[in-house]
Amino acid sequence: MKITKIETTLFEYKLDRSMGDANSPMGRKKASGCVLELITDEGISGISIGGQNALPQINSIFDGILLNNDPKAIFSIWKRMVEKYFKGGHDGIANDAISAIDVALWDLKAKINEEPLWKTLGGNNNKVNVYASDIALPINDDDLFNWYSKMSDKFGFKGGKLKVGLDQESDLKRLELMHNALSKNCDDPILYVDSNEYWSPKQTIRNVSEMEERFTLGWIEEPARRWDFLGLKKVSDSLQTPVCAGENLDTLGDFLPYFHHRSADVIQVSHGMTGISGALQIADAAYALELPVTLGGSSGIIHAHIANAIPNCITVEVPHPEPETKVFTSDVTIKDGYAFVGNKPGMGIEVNYEELAKHKVEKVSQKAGPSPYGRRPGAGLYEIPPTKEEISEGQSK
Amino acid sequence: MKIIDYKLEIYKEILDRPLGDSNGPSGNDLIYSSILKIETDEGITGIAPLGNEYVKEFFPILENEDPREVFSIWKKMIDFVFKGGDEGEAHGALSAVDIALWDIKAKINSEPLWKTLGSNEPRCKVYASDIGYNLTDEELHSFFSKMAEKGVDSGKVKIGISLDDDIRRIGIVYDALSKATKRPRIMIDSNEYWSVKKAIQNIRKIEEKFDIFWAEEPVRRWDYKGLKMVSDNIKAAVSTGENLNNVGDFYSLVRNQAADVLNVSSYQSGVTGLRQISNFAYAYEIPVTTMNCIGNYNAHIATSIPNHIMMEVVDPGREKAYSKWNDNISDGYLELDDTPGIGLIVDEDSLDELKNQKIDREPKKPWGRRKGAGLYIHDFEKDEVKWK
Repeated sequence: MKITKIETTLFEYKLDRSMGDANSPMGRKKASGCVLELITDEGISGISIGGQNALPQINSIFDGILLNNDPKAIFSIWKRMVEKYFKGGHDGIANDAISAIDVALWDLKAKINEEPLWKTLGGNNNKVNVYASDIALPINDDDLFNWYSKMSDKFGFKGGKLKVGLDQESDLKRLELMHNALSKNCDDPILYVDSNEYWSPKQTIRNVSEMEERFTLGWIEEPARRWDFLGLKKVSDSLQTPVCAGENLDTLGDFLPYFHHRSADVIQVSHGMTGISGALQIADAAYALELPVTLGGSSGIIHAHIANAIPNCITVEVPHPEPETKVFTSDVTIKDGYAFVGNKPGMGIEVNYEELAKHKVEKVSQKAGPSPYGRRPGAGLYEIPPTKEEISEGQSK
Repeated sequence: MKIIDYKLEIYKEILDRPLGDSNGPSGNDLIYSSILKIETDEGITGIAPLGNEYVKEFFPILENEDPREVFSIWKKMIDFVFKGGDEGEAHGALSAVDIALWDIKAKINSEPLWKTLGSNEPRCKVYASDIGYNLTDEELHSFFSKMAEKGVDSGKVKIGISLDDDIRRIGIVYDALSKATKRPRIMIDSNEYWSVKKAIQNIRKIEEKFDIFWAEEPVRRWDYKGLKMVSDNIKAAVSTGENLNNVGDFYSLVRNQAADVLNVSSYQSGVTGLRQISNFAYAYEIPVTTMNCIGNYNAHIATSIPNHIMMEVVDPGREKAYSKWNDNISDGYLELDDTPGIGLIVDEDSLDELKNQKIDREPKKPWGRRKGAGLYIHDFEKDEVKWK
């Protein structure tokens, strides 16, 4: 079997809530994606949702490495992709391209075997721990409470992650709201907080210590900059709460300082950064070091497949327990606070081509891009609470 | 598909020549071999060229399970032996089961394991290894010459008891491999016979004459400070790991940068465990090298390890029960073919013959440690090796 063709289709869709974090309190209302399809001479195709900023790199890899290659040779292809970008490093957009292609190849491999991806990876479809993640710093307190109430009532979530960082009073209040909403379903919900690198290590230590007086936290995510392995370690040494970091690292090598210095207590990986091949490598290394792994948000919650084959995965992030767009459907369902993966071949992502045609765009608009707002002023220095204009824009429908 | 049964074949096998190292320089030509067969309801049988009676403790975990779910089964076995640890007999059985399950997984897809693991380069660089402290100088030269004729340009020699003899024998290996290349890679292996300081003294003396690629197990497997001390004091890389059981055992070695090369093997918790250890080492920029194994099936796994250097090959003749194994070495590489699974096919007639043969002596088991190890060098005894 050979890879003979690639198709990439960009699309945009409206979000069900205004999404943003400490760096974007004005939020965004739209998101984007790319349906990447690797098509073989035997008609089977592998799908990946991602890589929307990396189309030139994806096409270059296709011409140079994928075309006429056997899609089952994922390791060899991964290695050639990584080596292609040796000098500049497989980071940034090149890394987005590698990751998106790697996911499509794994989808293809499972489909060739006529089995779901979790089985290709050797898993046995146990239910997977998950937590609800609002990623919605812009929405008001009532909307936040209602969202977590729905997560609790309808899907049974027993854990939630709150975006924090700009206003300690507000963060404490919202933490309480999240706790109360999730308490409807269980006695002791797990509360995670995420400041998205907005704080310095000492700001984190002060703010999270205060939270710890009232709440037991599951982790504090990205409490210092991604490369500040000593700062992260200092935070961990000073708090009861575990430090979670890694979502912005691209490769196994990027994690080496964390590993050497034990900077993080929980290692966060995501197929969007490392592909599935890289995620498995990082999980193995973390496993050897007795560090748990958590998987970030993923389109169609496909991370539930990977979690099935990782010995040290603690939980998977779910920002959207139901498909966030009509463009594709997923075979992963959330029930009773767990993800259940079905038996459809591959990742179980099925594209609705009619909807894709309706949502198709030639170019992703700036406001629907993956990180439309950049880093916020004050980050790493002092907190600047959201301005009236930001609040007003963030809460507009 | 479901796992329905297993069969464990254990038999004595007389080797073509004895194997020996610094702990048993006189060598040993009789071994216990075993083959584990895991059977499925669809007629596909997975095999592993190892295994022991402890498999029966694991079997309830496997029974009626889908063999493709090899990771989950591995995890259940590891969790099952939690308290006593993945060690000893349990460890050997766990590795065997995992290998047989990977063999099935590849056979279900009608493909060789290298393809299941995602490779499209079905070859693996190899180095020759005598495991023959007992071999005469001529036999040693002949073994490495034969390997050099197959393009093998790297070799590992057993040493440890007599520095002058060791240096001479390293020269013999170098000379033989020079047929394949201008500067052969030489590895030395003293199998934990030396103390830290003796290792530094001896390796430094050897390094005055030869450029050594790695020095294997210069001190004990768990002495991470000692291994690091050796590495800090010699030019050659320090390699170790063949006697460790699973990824956790590598923790202190890797965290303390105690080894420059890790010896990995599917005996370390199977294919699943070997890959975990390799990925761990990969994160730390440490290369790995796969150990010798019956039928050379480790080469399949090596094709999908990004930080793999080369695989050890020995040829004592441990494959008499097989009609097919991974034995095609040319230009210094082991070339793998498309035989489904790990590339081994059992010849049932030969196996029956082996099982029924009358051998009125017992294999030397376990392999003990030599007097003086880690303390002083206990010289060769009279006639202990025929070349002295």
